[in-house]
Amino acid sequence: MDLFNPTEEHLALREMVRDFVEKEVDPQAEHHDREESFNIELFRKVGALGLLGITVDERWGGAGMDATAAVIVHEELSAADPGFCLAFLAHSMLFVNNLSVNGNDEQRARLLPDVCSGKKIGGMCMSEPGAGTDVLGMRTTAVQDGEDWILNGAKMWITNGAVSDTELGDVFLVYANTGGTGGKSLSLFLVEKGMAGFRLGQKIKGKLGVRASTTAELVFDNVRVPACNVVGTQGNAVRSMMRNLEIERLTLAAMSLGIARRSVEVMIRYANERQAFGQPLNRFGQIQRHIAESYAEYMAGRCYVYNTAQNLALDSFGNRTDSDGVKLYCSTMGKNVADRAIQVLGGYGYVAEYQVERLWRDAKLLEIGGGTNEAHQKNMTRDLVGRTILR
Amino acid sequence: MKILVTAKRVTDPNAKLVIDDDGSWIDDDVEYILNPFCENAVECALQLAADHDAETIAVGIGDEEVQRYIRQGALARGIDRGIHVEADEQELDSDLIAKILKALVEKESPDLVVLGKQAVDGDSNQVGQLLAEMLGWPQATFASDVKIEGDEVIVTREVDGGLEKLAVTLPAVITADLRLNDPRYASLAGIMKAKRKPLEELELDDLDLDGEEPKVRVVKLHEPTGRSAGVFVADVDELILKLTTEARVL
Ligand SMILES: Cc1cc2nc3c(=O)[nH]c(=O)nc-3n(C[C@H](O)[C@H](O)[C@H](O)COP(=O)(O)OP(=O)(O)OC[C@H]3O[C@@H](n4cnc5c(N)ncnc54)[C@H](O)[C@@H]3O)c2cc1C
Ligand SMILES: Cc1cc2nc3c(=O)[nH]c(=O)nc-3n(C[C@H](O)[C@H](O)[C@H](O)COP(=O)(O)OP(=O)(O)OC[C@H]3O[C@@H](n4cnc5c(N)ncnc54)[C@H](O)[C@@H]3O)c2cc1C
Repeated sequence: MDLFNPTEEHLALREMVRDFVEKEVDPQAEHHDREESFNIELFRKVGALGLLGITVDERWGGAGMDATAAVIVHEELSAADPGFCLAFLAHSMLFVNNLSVNGNDEQRARLLPDVCSGKKIGGMCMSEPGAGTDVLGMRTTAVQDGEDWILNGAKMWITNGAVSDTELGDVFLVYANTGGTGGKSLSLFLVEKGMAGFRLGQKIKGKLGVRASTTAELVFDNVRVPACNVVGTQGNAVRSMMRNLEIERLTLAAMSLGIARRSVEVMIRYANERQAFGQPLNRFGQIQRHIAESYAEYMAGRCYVYNTAQNLALDSFGNRTDSDGVKLYCSTMGKNVADRAIQVLGGYGYVAEYQVERLWRDAKLLEIGGGTNEAHQKNMTRDLVGRTILR
Repeated sequence: MKILVTAKRVTDPNAKLVIDDDGSWIDDDVEYILNPFCENAVECALQLAADHDAETIAVGIGDEEVQRYIRQGALARGIDRGIHVEADEQELDSDLIAKILKALVEKESPDLVVLGKQAVDGDSNQVGQLLAEMLGWPQATFASDVKIEGDEVIVTREVDGGLEKLAVTLPAVITADLRLNDPRYASLAGIMKAKRKPLEELELDDLDLDGEEPKVRVVKLHEPTGRSAGVFVADVDELILKLTTEARVL
C-alpha cells in the first residue's frame, strides 16, 4: 500500500470505481456534455454503489470512509467525466458531508439516508449574483418569525440547483445573513423543494465546461423555514462553511488530478501510435517535453493532494493553507496538461473524439468554482504570513 | 444449502508480461485481476444464494496475495466467507488444484461447486471437469443459465450447434461461461464489510495433500517468436510464386 492507496479498502474502492467508470461513465460522457444535461440514472447507480455517502457514518446510510477515499472517487470519476463528477461533488461533499459534519442527529436521521441512496439530490448555496469571492457580502437574509425563519434573496451558480431545465433539485444547505456583519453574521438553513416561495430562477445555459452538471439560480421569496432546519446555531455558520470548504477544495483538486491523468494517458498512447516524418511522435524532443513535464506535474499534484487528504480529519478546521494550496496548484496544472494533450494530438486533439478538448474546457472551471485562484492566493498568503520558517 | 465458488487471480490480460531471465516464470511485478469467469461464478453463486438461502464460500489457491482477490473479488460482492489454500503457484497444475478442491469439498460438504469455465491466464479449461470426475459428481460446463429446481440444477450450455439444456442432480459441479450473467460491482458497503468477514487460511498439509506433486510442469517460458514484416507484391503471379516457394502453403 502507498500514499495513494493507504489501505486495501482504498485500493479496492479505486478498482471498483475504475471498473464502473470504464463500463458506465466513459461511454455516456460526450453525449451529456453536448446536450448540456445531467445523467440522473447514472447518478442513482452511483448511489447504489454506496458512493454518495462515502464520508458519512454507517448509522446514517454512509460508508464511514475518510478524505482520502473521497479523493480517490473524485480522481477516478473525473478522469472520464468532470461534469458528472462536479454534480457528484456538489451532492456528496457540499450537501451530504456538510450536513453529516455540521448537522445534529435529528437532521442526520431525517435527511442523510435519502441523500446517501440518491433518492434525493442535494446542493449547497453560498454564491449570489452579486457576491462570490466576497462571501460575507451576501445579501440573502433570514429573519426570525416566532419559531420559524423567513428567507429572502437569490443564490447563483448552484450546482444541482436544477435536475432538468425546469425542475428544482430536492434539498439544499443555504447560507444567509441573520444580522450583523463579519464572522457572526451567517447562519445555515436546510431548504427543501416544495417549501412555499422557493423556486428555480433559471437554469444557466451555455457553460464552457462541466456541462454534464446543472447550474442554476435559485430564488427565495419569503420562504418559511422551521427551526428544526437550522444547521448549527444562529450566527455560527462561517465556521461550518470554512470547514466544508476544505474538503470541497481538496476534492476539486482531485478532479484536476483525474483530468490530468487521463490527458497524460491519451498523450502517451497517441504519441506512440501516430507517425510523422517516418517515426512516432514520441521520438520528437518537443513532444517528449509535453509528455514528461505533464506526467511529472501530475505526480507532484497527486502527492500534494493525497498527502493533504491523509492529514485532513473531516471534523477538523484550520487546514486551509493546504486545502487551498492543492486546488491552486492542481487546477492550473490540470488545465495545462489538458492543453498539452490537445497540442500533442494536433487537429485530432481539437475535436471530441479523443476527449481532451472536453477535459480542457472542464479544467478551466477548477480555477474559478469553489474559490478562485486569486482567493486561494489571498487566503494562503494571509495564513503564511507568520510562518517564516517552514518545517 | 451451501455453495462453494472459486476465486482465482490471473494476470491482467492488458498487462505486459515479462518473463524471468531464466525463463522459469513471469516477473511477479504485474497487475492481477480476478479471473473474469470466476466473476461469473461468484455472481451465479450470489444469485442462487439469494433465491435459495444458501451459504456461500469462495476459495482461492496460491500465495498470500491471493487473499486480496478473495476479499475484494468475492467477499466484497457478498460471498459469506473465504478459504485461502497456501501453495506455490509455480507448483500447481489443474490436477493438483482439482485435488485441493476435492479435499475442500470433503471438508465443507457443499451442495454445489461453481467454477469459472477456465482461467484466462493458462486457458486450461480442466479443473471443473477433473473435480467432478474425482468426486464422482455430475457436471455441467459452460453454463449460460443456471436454475435450481428441487434436487436438480437445470443448466443451459453453449455448445457449437446452439444451446443444450441439462438437468443434473445435486450435488454437482458447474462451470460458468461469460454470458451466464453480468457480475455486480462490489458496493462500498461490501468493501468495508469484506474486511470483517472470515477468511480461513489452510496449508496443503491441513488437507493431507502435503508432498503432492503436479503432473504437469512448466519447463520453460519464452516470448512468441516475432513475426517478420509483410511485403508488398507487384501482382498475382508474384503472390502465387511466394505462397508456393516461400510460405509453402500452396
Ligand atoms: C459551474 C459552476 C458551478 C458552481 N457551483 C456552485 C455551487 O454549487 N454553490 C455555490 O455556492 N457556488 C457555486 N459556484 C460559484 C463559485 O464558487 C463562484 O463563481 C466563485 O466563488 C467566484 O465568485 P464570482 O463568480 O462571483 O466571481 P467574483 O468573486 O466576482 O470574482 C471575479 C474576479 O475577481 C477576482 N477577485 C475577487 N475578489 C478579489 C480579491 N479580493 N483579490 C483579488 N481578486 C479578487 C476573482 O478572483 C475573479 O478573478 C459555481 C460556479 C460555477 C462557474
Ligand atoms: C479546425 C481545423 C481546421 C483546419 N482547416 C484546414 C484546412 O482548411 N486545410 C488543411 O489542409 N488543413 C486544415 N487543418 C489541418 C491543420 O493544418 C493540421 O491539423 C495541422 O497542420 C497539424 O497536423 P495534424 O493535425 O495532422 O497533427 P500532426 O502533424 O500529427 O502533429 C501532432 C503533434 O506532433 C507535433 N509534431 C509533428 N511533427 C513534429 C516534428 N517533426 N517535431 C516536433 N513536433 C512534431 C505537432 O507539432 C503536433 O503537436 C485544420 C485543422 C483544424 C483543427
